[in-house]
Amino acid sequence: MKVALFATCLVDMFRTNVGKSTVELLEHLGCEVEFPKGQICCGQPAYNAGFVKDSKEAMKHMIEVFEEAEYIVSPSGSCAYMFKKYPEVFQGDPIWEPRAKKVADKTYELTQFIVDVLRVEDVGAAFDGNVTYHMSCHMTRLLGVKSAPMTLLSNVRGLKYTELPNKDTCCGFGGTFSVKMEQISEQMVDEKVQHIIETGAQYLIGADEGCLMNIRGRAERVGAKVEVLHIAEILNNRMAEVK
Amino acid sequence: MPMKVGSEPFKNRVDEGIQNTFMRGAVSGAQDRLEVKRLQAVEELGDWETWRLLGEQIRQHVLENLDYYLTQLSDNVAKLGGHVYFASTAEEAREYIAGVAKQKNAKKIVKSKSMVTEEIDLNHHLQADGLEVVETDLGEYILQLDNDLPSHIVAPALHRNKEQVQESFHSHHGYEGSSRPEELTKHARKMLRNDYLTADIGITGCNFAVAETGSVCIVTNEGNADLSTSLPKTQITVMGMERLVPTFEELEVLVNMLTRSAVGQKLPSYVTVLSGPRGEGDADGPEEFHLVIVDNGRSEILGTEFQPILQCIRCAACANVCPVYRHVGGHSYGSIYSGPVGAVLSPLLGGYDEYKELPFASTLCGACTDVCPVKIPLHELLHKHRQVIVEKEGRAPISERFLMSIFGMGSSSSGLYNMGSKIASKALKPIIKDSHISKGVGPLKNWMEAREFPAPNKERFRDWFENRAKGGNES
Amino acid sequence: MIGQIQNRQAFIEKISQKLKRSEVPSAIEPPQWSYAPQYQVLKDKTQDELLEVLQKQCQLINTSCVVTKLADLPGAVYETIQSYGGGPVIAWQDERFGHYGLTELFNERLPKEQVPVNTWDPAKGRENVSLAEKANVGITIAEQMLAESGTAVLFSYKNHGRAVNFLPEKSIILIPKSMIVPRMTQAAASLRKRVLQGEKVPPCINFISGPSNSADIELILVVGVHGPNYMTYIVIEDL
Repeated sequence: MKVALFATCLVDMFRTNVGKSTVELLEHLGCEVEFPKGQICCGQPAYNAGFVKDSKEAMKHMIEVFEEAEYIVSPSGSCAYMFKKYPEVFQGDPIWEPRAKKVADKTYELTQFIVDVLRVEDVGAAFDGNVTYHMSCHMTRLLGVKSAPMTLLSNVRGLKYTELPNKDTCCGFGGTFSVKMEQISEQMVDEKVQHIIETGAQYLIGADEGCLMNIRGRAERVGAKVEVLHIAEILNNRMAEVK
Repeated sequence: MPMKVGSEPFKNRVDEGIQNTFMRGAVSGAQDRLEVKRLQAVEELGDWETWRLLGEQIRQHVLENLDYYLTQLSDNVAKLGGHVYFASTAEEAREYIAGVAKQKNAKKIVKSKSMVTEEIDLNHHLQADGLEVVETDLGEYILQLDNDLPSHIVAPALHRNKEQVQESFHSHHGYEGSSRPEELTKHARKMLRNDYLTADIGITGCNFAVAETGSVCIVTNEGNADLSTSLPKTQITVMGMERLVPTFEELEVLVNMLTRSAVGQKLPSYVTVLSGPRGEGDADGPEEFHLVIVDNGRSEILGTEFQPILQCIRCAACANVCPVYRHVGGHSYGSIYSGPVGAVLSPLLGGYDEYKELPFASTLCGACTDVCPVKIPLHELLHKHRQVIVEKEGRAPISERFLMSIFGMGSSSSGLYNMGSKIASKALKPIIKDSHISKGVGPLKNWMEAREFPAPNKERFRDWFENRAKGGNES
Repeated sequence: MIGQIQNRQAFIEKISQKLKRSEVPSAIEPPQWSYAPQYQVLKDKTQDELLEVLQKQCQLINTSCVVTKLADLPGAVYETIQSYGGGPVIAWQDERFGHYGLTELFNERLPKEQVPVNTWDPAKGRENVSLAEKANVGITIAEQMLAESGTAVLFSYKNHGRAVNFLPEKSIILIPKSMIVPRMTQAAASLRKRVLQGEKVPPCINFISGPSNSADIELILVVGVHGPNYMTYIVIEDL
């Protein structure tokens, strides 16, 4: 199965290990992973802020880069969701709307792809740690991927899981919201980190680097003894501990 | 008071809200409890998604035929002997009501809770005419004593604690009792009982009007709307023009969804359906009934991409799950309509000059859309506002417009991106410390007020992938 | 007397224009809705089962539910009134009280025990309101009882004063068991049927679910605000 990896700009620039884990995990599950080199950004930052026209340039570029792929897989729920919105963004455009639809129809978030397409629930991972999980809003409510991450985590050997209080509540990232409405964002991410600390977990896991950068940044600022990891890094962990 | 609440700029209001520890505790506690109750109520009912689809369909049908149903409603109210006044503006509505009060030589008015009467600033104008206007909903009664403003659509005095209420009753009424809510409520009951019996006019809002029968349905737990309408000689009901249903059958569906979504109740203590003035031979009930139907900007929303917001049945479930509302409280919205519905509606009714920040005070997390009983796509409407504000109205700050067009360029050209991201690590070196950015500038500065920001990876993912493909490091 | 309608034309025309049509359609029927979940609730329950649902719900809404046979009804009403501290009592004027065998209780037994029982009499006008205000207990009869929500459906007009259900501190509502229906869906349907047959809607229909309450102070529930503080439904099980 050929998979075109949509790594996301955040992973590309700030979290190479997430991309690496994603590639290795997919290969372990029998996929052939390509990385279309032209990819940059799904356009979310501008789109969500209302700059739809400006975001369209980024989107067209991504459509061109990915339209020949068989499957498009991304380790980011919000970025995968953005691809799913492309047909709506280009609605009425006789050239771009059909191309957008082609791309949207074959786009998956990573855990969604593993469970729904590869039909795998146990990736053979092992992780010795006490973890809690943040359900990213765009991934769960908007993309509709609610159970795949937990299904996969539940089969990770040695993993201890504690549920996060108010787990459905937004972490306060929201793209440009985190810098435009910084007062409110701070309160939201602070409450999220306090809830994480309450669980006593050593690790906070998530499936969207936007959320994770936000939470990690706050956790580090307040000195919380919690390591923030992407689910790909856990699922790719087989025998040795994550370094 | 009018729709606008307070006069401070947005950032100040937000700051004030964040600093108000009691209010935040009250709001987050309320949110947690009300959401649990709502979930219990909808799970118990079962098949909630089907109910939501039905609720949406009913509301959409009514909006698409609003001209017909309002005509039918008014015809039927008139047939029952009630009077109908169509008010295009807040001013027209106020003047009509003031006119009725004058005609009746009224001195005292009792009111049950009505958001639309606050929107049109009715109380102040009636008071300026020398009328005594008494709010009978306990929360509004408490607020009225201190000229305070509501902070939640359903529980308006959420931001006040019982000691504050005790103090208020003491200073205004000489109340000597404790701060126990039962005692405070008994006191309010005693004070208001006399008001009901001596008022000349009862003014109510309208949860839903029923077009087929010319009825208005009012929903309370306290019974205050019932006392306000059975005892005074004149009743005036004020309704937002979109608040109606075709028949009793749709009424029961929406009342049911309203109360489950708002507070997790199957039904509130009182669902009262009033049709016209009192019947011939009745000894209580109003002798005269007036229905004031208010537009005040709603018709401008019809036929636009924002039309879905008119589906709203004012349950405030959206506010009860909103993480932003949780931290800043209702007053920060600067409008009597707070929470997600307020963030969509206030700019439409009150204009972008006053309310342009509200649509941006959201992460578009979608929690509101998820709980809306009539499936209003709230987070999408917030996004639409952003698009209008930024693109049509051109209101984004120049720096942001500039950054976004750079973004557009940078993310559509692989060459530009490659260059930019490659040199990022080197260019930022002076401000990198321990693999974090140590000094923030511009938007980064805002980020760093509350969090650490990582330095870019030394090796970009794409370079790792390429190296590996070439047979390089397998690190 | 027909009421006045003012300012309608321009108002409605604006709406039609926004809806992109040149005039208001002359007749619209609500469509056959695509979904009808409301009819599934408590479907196919027997009257006994509905009564059970009602009793459970009453516990949740601070309402007493007494079940009694018709022959024992006067005793049940008497005991409830006494448990509420006695009179004065105000009741609707309704021949059903007579059918239920309560005439002797209202006209003789209670007054003899210093519990005055006043009956709502429209001829007395406003005095009725004073009597209701002074009353300790109000007694009315429901047309239907909604099991799911513990709701009494009351038609308040003519000899049925609205104030009887709101001014006294305690409230007693009688209901034959056969008039218990699953939920508001059935009540709305039967009301609508009557409307479509040309019947006039009562000026006031109350759907009452327990005593008045409020959680406006710190979201702490207080039972008993402006309406009654205490409520009892008496279900007549053989009617």
